[in-house]
Amino acid sequence: MYGRVAHARPFVALIAAVGIATLVGCGSSGNPTSTSSGGSTGTGAVKSSDCGTKPGVKATGTPINLGAIVTDQTGTSFADIAYMADAYFTCVNANGGINGHPIKYYIETEQTQPAQIAGDANQLVQTDQVLGIVGNTSIIECSVDSSYWQQHGFYIIDSGIAPECYSTSNSAAVNMGPRYSSDGAVQYAISQHVSKIVFDQANVPGTQHIAAGPNALAAAAHIPIVDLAETPPVTSANSVAIKEVNDAGPNGAVILNFTPPDALTILQAAQKLGIVDHVKMWGCSTPCNTDFLAQSLGAQWNSKLFVNAELTPPDSTNSKTMQLYNAILKDYGSSGPHKVAGGVGSFSQMGFTEAEIAVHALEGIKGAYTVASVNAAFKGVTNFDTGMLCQKWTYGGYSSHLPNNMDYTVTPNNGKMTTAQGCTQISSVDPDIAAYRQEAGVAPLDPTANG
Amino acid sequence: MLDVTDSPDSPAGTASALRSPLLRRPAQPTLIRAVVIVVLLVFVLFGLPQLLSLYYVDAMTQVAVYAMVALGLGVLVGRVGLMSLGQVAVLAVGAWSAARLLFGTGQPYPLVLLEAGLVTMILGTVLLLPALRLRGLYLALITLMLAGAVTVVLATLNFPNGGGGFSGYDGNQTHIPPIRRPSIATSDPAYFRYSVLVAVVMFALVAIHIRTRPGRAWAAIRQSEPSALAAGINTTAYKLWAVALASFVTGVAGGTYAGAVHYLYPYDFPAYTSITILAVVLMGGAYNLWGAVVAGLLMQLLPALLQNWGVSNDWLTILFGIGVVQVLTTAPRGLADQFPKDMAKLGHLLMGLVRRPVPAAVPETTGGETP
Amino acid sequence: MPSWQNFQPFIVTGLALGGVYALSGVGLVVLYQATGVVYLALGAVGAMGALISYSLIAAGVAPWLTWLVCLLFSGAVTLAYGMIFGPLLAKREPLVKATATLGLLLVLFGVMDLLWTTSSGKVRSLTFPTDGHGFSLGNVNITWTQVIGLAVGIAITIGTAAFLRFTKLGTAMRAMANDREITATLGVPVRRVEAAAWLGCGILAGIAGLLLADMVALDATTLTFLVISSLAAALIARLRSIVLTFVAAIVVGLVQNMLVPIPALTSYSNMAPFVLAAVALLLISRRRVITLSREEA
Repeated sequence: MYGRVAHARPFVALIAAVGIATLVGCGSSGNPTSTSSGGSTGTGAVKSSDCGTKPGVKATGTPINLGAIVTDQTGTSFADIAYMADAYFTCVNANGGINGHPIKYYIETEQTQPAQIAGDANQLVQTDQVLGIVGNTSIIECSVDSSYWQQHGFYIIDSGIAPECYSTSNSAAVNMGPRYSSDGAVQYAISQHVSKIVFDQANVPGTQHIAAGPNALAAAAHIPIVDLAETPPVTSANSVAIKEVNDAGPNGAVILNFTPPDALTILQAAQKLGIVDHVKMWGCSTPCNTDFLAQSLGAQWNSKLFVNAELTPPDSTNSKTMQLYNAILKDYGSSGPHKVAGGVGSFSQMGFTEAEIAVHALEGIKGAYTVASVNAAFKGVTNFDTGMLCQKWTYGGYSSHLPNNMDYTVTPNNGKMTTAQGCTQISSVDPDIAAYRQEAGVAPLDPTANG
Repeated sequence: MLDVTDSPDSPAGTASALRSPLLRRPAQPTLIRAVVIVVLLVFVLFGLPQLLSLYYVDAMTQVAVYAMVALGLGVLVGRVGLMSLGQVAVLAVGAWSAARLLFGTGQPYPLVLLEAGLVTMILGTVLLLPALRLRGLYLALITLMLAGAVTVVLATLNFPNGGGGFSGYDGNQTHIPPIRRPSIATSDPAYFRYSVLVAVVMFALVAIHIRTRPGRAWAAIRQSEPSALAAGINTTAYKLWAVALASFVTGVAGGTYAGAVHYLYPYDFPAYTSITILAVVLMGGAYNLWGAVVAGLLMQLLPALLQNWGVSNDWLTILFGIGVVQVLTTAPRGLADQFPKDMAKLGHLLMGLVRRPVPAAVPETTGGETP
Repeated sequence: MPSWQNFQPFIVTGLALGGVYALSGVGLVVLYQATGVVYLALGAVGAMGALISYSLIAAGVAPWLTWLVCLLFSGAVTLAYGMIFGPLLAKREPLVKATATLGLLLVLFGVMDLLWTTSSGKVRSLTFPTDGHGFSLGNVNITWTQVIGLAVGIAITIGTAAFLRFTKLGTAMRAMANDREITATLGVPVRRVEAAAWLGCGILAGIAGLLLADMVALDATTLTFLVISSLAAALIARLRSIVLTFVAAIVVGLVQNMLVPIPALTSYSNMAPFVLAAVALLLISRRRVITLSREEA
């Protein structure tokens, strides 16, 4: 069905998530947004008006149209990413705009239907006449639309999931995506000297491509690795957890690569069955990096579950950028139709970062705002301090884009995610990483990076 | 068996129906109907793409695809009284076959569609042949079970993406090539026209079946299978024929779908959609060919509209649920049949008010084979 | 081929899950016998009850009370549907009655997604106090929740069988399954008996919804379509025998779970209920009986 309530469930992808749905009618569940970050939200040095160049001045010129396509369906929703970008743009519009021009942001949601996604691209480009695409986060959009963006000259800034988000010339992501994030998780397990690795992921198109990275890393370290795949959505989590634990053995590691709901289901099943300690450690790619997950799991996961974090941990960083992020979230992202339901977390961080990059690029444009000038500006972003990543971010004219290839590892600690390992490069043993570094080199560290 | 017309078994009716041809000439002159259809077709083919944005052109292509699916299901449910709860799996098989052929061979598109339809037809009949013994409810449930099994297999096998081997799936692909379209119809509006033409061919195919011997046999079976058997009709063969036709049409729809979307994923074919398809077919009218068009519009155009207006699709799901129950309890022939009847009644009511003494002799179109 | 030791934990999960399938399977069979309706919305109504329980717990209500609310909800919705649409469709054949319940399924589905939207990482879960606590049998862990799953299945099966055999209401239900018209003429309050069957089935749906929400996932789609596994068990029992439904449900649960540790078959484990049901249906119908009555079973 065109825009349906998925049944069968759609569901797959890896992006760190923090999501809390608001309940209607039956009393609201507490909104465990982790407001403990920094503590200096609102008060203190940084106000949300610092997002723009002219605090307090509303932008009133001709608008600059931008667009985004995000997956939003039962079981998988990335709408928060676009909503946070929207909050950022709204903030900028209230504080000077882009040289006086407000940004008009069109968000299209889709339910993993290729026809719908192609239609959304048409809607944005032809009907809404957007000049640039920022904030795309979709299970398959990169695959469906990559040739479309190339044809129309769009260089999109997105949060990638499908391989084409990384392997094509017209898409650059702020995150690492499933393969490289799994690399990071496996890399950490290897550093803990486990004797066997079980890598389990959602059976989506491209599993072999995703598994190739971890397999290469494990082979280089001479550690046996078992690849498993579960058809999403995971309906027999108990069996999955038992199978993983059995295969890993007492000195092994189980590394998961699932969407947040499925990953949490498996981890909770392991907890309910009492088999958490039957392996040496559990690992997870970025989707598990949310305080919500940390709170949903019990204390026995402290320093037992190690999650790859593609972005700077918000709870343990008090930089100006993180304060601005919290301020914008509070002032512009906590109410209204585009409320960022997940609060502080990887999704909103990604939205923030993508918007930040776009605004930075747009502010540098001299002359008219056209599809050509806007996308040239996006493509021209070089060594930008996002304040949310380990490295400075570059778009560039490369054939593939992996600008974020250095990550943290976090672990739950009594309901919050805390840093277990600081910024570590993803190993060049993964051939894709090696190929990118060949073309683009190694980016310098972001000044706010830890470790 | 599902008898959406809610007519009680009437052996007498069956017997007389078998003696004389069941097909009565439709009340309206065929010429007028043909002209209407042609005008509508011309408008859809040439007018719509100019009027609609690409977003809606894409949506209308999906309407064409699912109108074909509804057509197939309508043959089963409306004509023969067989219920299928697994049409989406059939669609998936058609899409899979077409994609495999399009990637693996350079055959022209119509040939690929034909082959996809044939593969689906063979698979459908082979799977369902042992099940045709089953009575209505059990048959419906077994289609649900078979569809569920096929869905699991497809999710594991994945859809072809340009790789080699039987499955055509390469898990290592980072640049998945799109499924090609016919060379004369690569743009979205052109492919929309192509899909509409394919749908017209399918509708014509089904219409021919209905007006000839299979149609009469199906009507007899729907009326009362024991009576039909007693009258010497080979019910198994004709039921199989219906299954074959429905599978063929749905397979062709799957092939058209593959070209429309360029990329196939298991999430395109959730088992849940079979229920939605059934709901819209019942609402649109299983017995009426126009009902299949209505079903397609309900299923694909409405969600696209709602999405644009910012309304959640859940309301549509709820509407479909209510629609199913309403149709089964009160309007068995569905909207497509009910609407003209209601309009006719309204018309006569108004005329009655204007010209008192004339007793309006209402030419009811009930019972006629109104395609 | 995995070792016997590897299979053991899956046998445990299979038995527990099978027990819960039996629970809803029994509900399906009893309702079908009394009214001729295959209640396909059973999973959906249990799912919504479980979600309501979840929301109430999040709002601070005591868990045992929320479970009660869940049962009341699913019982009430099922009863309401039965009382309104039962008579309207009473004269139609079982296929039409079953299809109508699909309408209820769609409505519940839409409502659930509206009220309990899913987004980002939010996973709802229902936990029982018995989760995580258990005992070891040999070298396999068994949690109390799993024991409850199987025990409830057994209890409901025995209880229902006894109810049908020994109580007046149960006997009336069996009579109606045989021939509704004659039972009515004998003075049995047919509408009341039907109402009891609807209510009972609804409550069983609620219990199953809670248990499955804990043991599998608290997710509207998953729970709604888990009804297929119970349906498979009921179909294998030809929608007739309670005890056979229980046995079939255990078999379905076991087969589904025991395929998981076999590497070549693990992806196909979810097919097990479908295949078993299809095979059973085909084997059962080998002798074709043509009747002029509207009865299907």
